[in-house]
Amino acid sequence: MKVLIVGAGEVGYHIAGRLALENKEVVVIDKDSDALRRVSENMDVQTINGSGSSPSVLTDAGIREAEILLAVTNQDETNLVACLVADLLSPSTKKLARIRGADFDQYHETFREQVPHIDTVINPEIEVVKTIERLMRVPGAVDVGEFADGRIKFVGVYLEPDARLAGVRLSELPGIVGKRRLLIVAVVREDELIIPTGKDQLLPGDLVYFISEEKELHDALSIFDKHAEPVKRVMIIGGGRIGYRLAVQLEAQSIYCKIIEKSAERCSVLAERLNKTIVLHGDGSDQNLLNEENIGDIDVVVTLTNDEETNILSSLLARRLGAGKAITKISKFSYFPLMTAIGIEQVVSPRLSAINTILQHIRRGKLLSAVSLKGEQAEAMEAVALETSEIVGKPLKKISFPKGAIVAGIIRGDEIIIPTGDSVIEPNDRTIIFAHRSAISGIEKILAVKLEYF
Amino acid sequence: MRWQYIIYIVGALIFFLGLTMVVPLACGFLYADQSVLPLIKSMAATILIGGALFLAFRKGRVANISQREGMAIVTLGWTAVGFFGALPFYLASGEWVLVDAVFESVSGFTTTGASILTNIEALPKGLLLWRSFIQWLGGMGIIVLSIAILPFLGVGGMQLYKAEVPSPVPDKLKPRIRDTATILWKVYALFSAAQLILLMLGGMSFFDALCHAFTTMPTGGFSTMNTSVAHFDSAYLDFVIIFFMVLAGINFSLHYQLLRGQPLAFWRDRECRFFLGAVLVLTLLVSCDLLSAEIYTTIGDAIRYGAFQVVSIITTTGFATADYEAWPAMSQHILLACMFLGASAGSTGGGMKCLRIMLCFKYCYKELFALVHPRAITTIKLGGHTVSEDVMRSVLGFLALYIALFGISTIVLAGFGVDFVTAFGAVAATIGNIGPGFGDVGPVENYARIPVMGKWLLIWCMLLGRLEIYTVLILLVPEFWRK
Repeated sequence: MKVLIVGAGEVGYHIAGRLALENKEVVVIDKDSDALRRVSENMDVQTINGSGSSPSVLTDAGIREAEILLAVTNQDETNLVACLVADLLSPSTKKLARIRGADFDQYHETFREQVPHIDTVINPEIEVVKTIERLMRVPGAVDVGEFADGRIKFVGVYLEPDARLAGVRLSELPGIVGKRRLLIVAVVREDELIIPTGKDQLLPGDLVYFISEEKELHDALSIFDKHAEPVKRVMIIGGGRIGYRLAVQLEAQSIYCKIIEKSAERCSVLAERLNKTIVLHGDGSDQNLLNEENIGDIDVVVTLTNDEETNILSSLLARRLGAGKAITKISKFSYFPLMTAIGIEQVVSPRLSAINTILQHIRRGKLLSAVSLKGEQAEAMEAVALETSEIVGKPLKKISFPKGAIVAGIIRGDEIIIPTGDSVIEPNDRTIIFAHRSAISGIEKILAVKLEYF
Repeated sequence: MRWQYIIYIVGALIFFLGLTMVVPLACGFLYADQSVLPLIKSMAATILIGGALFLAFRKGRVANISQREGMAIVTLGWTAVGFFGALPFYLASGEWVLVDAVFESVSGFTTTGASILTNIEALPKGLLLWRSFIQWLGGMGIIVLSIAILPFLGVGGMQLYKAEVPSPVPDKLKPRIRDTATILWKVYALFSAAQLILLMLGGMSFFDALCHAFTTMPTGGFSTMNTSVAHFDSAYLDFVIIFFMVLAGINFSLHYQLLRGQPLAFWRDRECRFFLGAVLVLTLLVSCDLLSAEIYTTIGDAIRYGAFQVVSIITTTGFATADYEAWPAMSQHILLACMFLGASAGSTGGGMKCLRIMLCFKYCYKELFALVHPRAITTIKLGGHTVSEDVMRSVLGFLALYIALFGISTIVLAGFGVDFVTAFGAVAATIGNIGPGFGDVGPVENYARIPVMGKWLLIWCMLLGRLEIYTVLILLVPEFWRK
């Protein structure tokens, strides 16, 4: 399968890396030769220097054989034109554009349905705001994902040293949990992701991922000794596009909200557009300002400026001054492994969101959503079991699953099944699968219609 | 530097080389000659040692390798392959001393075609085939072949590929390095097979045709005969070989484009035009020179022998149908220039490569232009594409290093007691991976009389030339070893 990526920025770079690891044929196009060098030195892909909206460059890159075009440059206009030109050259290629302008928000559906040259529009900022809201609502969670339209949640929590589950083997879990439906699907220990079996033990300090039905989520969290604290007061540091979106959402839920923004000009724009939110002009890392605004009483601080270092420092400062919890926006992937060490647990990344959304569209089979876990070592995906695929009609233990992958849930109509080895997947069931990076291409094969391989 | 990983990969290469020895072994069995026993011994030793290294260091496997490690793997891999490839010769009979066996083997893998054998025809058939087969393996690159075949090289493949095929502007035919390597080998094998059939149609025996097909496409130049291709004395065979030598001297990505249905691929490429033009003009010059000096009396003969020698030297193959040392001075000088010019970048040929010479001329012109228009902003373009400063710098650096290493090696070789012309010719012919040089190492002579130390020096020159200097030389830079 051949994939063309226009734009070798952070999103293009990481998607290219992911796809190259999965043995896809990847061609990356960018105007900036330095950005391309970074790509070609680190991964096995082809790079072409030129504008992604130029027909000759796209032809050179082999658009006619490409199955998917991903237009992910920084400029909405370039992305739109790249899709348009690609459609002229190769109508059968699936085209996806990243569009970030808020003006386009209401037209995403229109783009998908009525504009012939674009198949999908993604805006990672919408996803980021959703992620922030989920993190706010689930206490103690450092990572929250949704399946089956939100009916199933997958949640990542740190295991405290004094938690009840510390030191417990997974096979002993049912005795402690009772009949509540909880399945531990992955454990991150010392930056290594493990898809655990019954013999594995949970240790303090582990980042534990589990699956739970939404209505039982709080019960499940109480097993991990995390208790719900309602969010009433939020402070947003950085009034950019994401900050504004978040504020609008919070206003709608009647949550008390303050925004600190450095630029006076932007502040007046925000003040015009927002009604109940308090817009403050100032520096988010200014201790006096934070104290003045009663940072100690704030339940959640969200740092969303465009400067990573400012976000990290403001979050640390806010926590120190007594804020309940801090959610930090970080774009640079190389910072992720450091976050736990410096005490920042809840991180959102527009780029990671963009990658997740894009991956969902690339995966074969009828994939409904895909989310990548911390450090990108694993993916959780929700897929419809096709009648012709290998996972249908046999007990799970008899299916030759790739190593490092498990079925974490089966959704049949309204019923949600947390599976055991004897469960059988029926056609058109929706399945939730967790897979280690190395197992992903194997999983794709099992899920896809067999005919595609003939 | 993660040595464990480097040794692991080199072990895999050695193991893989051992497996390829089954080809000459089968031939040895077929003819039931004396090569069977030494080949079995070498095969066992190579497979065992390679396999042992591979298994012992498998814990050192890593996900990604650096450019530095890639260079170390390629240079060490080639050196190891040169030594293990020498085993069948070394074990064949008492006459082979170590340096001779290694010389013959490295000359094979680097597709030089310089031989220390005084009587080639006396060699058992199995060893003759091995001699040709290693040229075929080395021509497209043993690492490129490994990338195509061994899946675990996939991730670090690009670094290895860049170190083994150090073209000034690397092309990737396909997004994945493994696909690129596979395509290159397929094109290469296809042309070799076509040549095999054409040679057999011209009356060559299957064995001779196979050996010559194995040494033409890699621009190697080992023959099964003492007098090289002259032995067959057939105009048809000469022209078949000329045709395939020219093909081998053209960038393989153009062959791929041609096979994919772009008939104008050769014409559109500036370097290819330059190379074919040079072949044509130089052939005409040499032929006229030969006619006027009355070496050959008919136009047909003058063109046949002139073209063969010009093509054989410019593509750095090194087959011979005539003793060019008996030719007039102008022809000899043209051939000497061909030794340095070499074939196209991305081909199997050696030398400085046409592309670099073209860029160098363009650079010189730019300098002259700047003297006339001191304030003009100019860029160097090739076929409509701007050549970046980085590429230009590496090209000029390469040319300077090539000349410098050539000069130093000539002086050292002369210091070992070799006469002026021979030292000059031998170094030019080994660093350019050609084979026959001038003087004592001319087209009808061989390298047997070079002193032992001189042979080691030439072995090094061959490796330098094949891996295009930087990859080998970088290992001598102290900074490379610093942690």
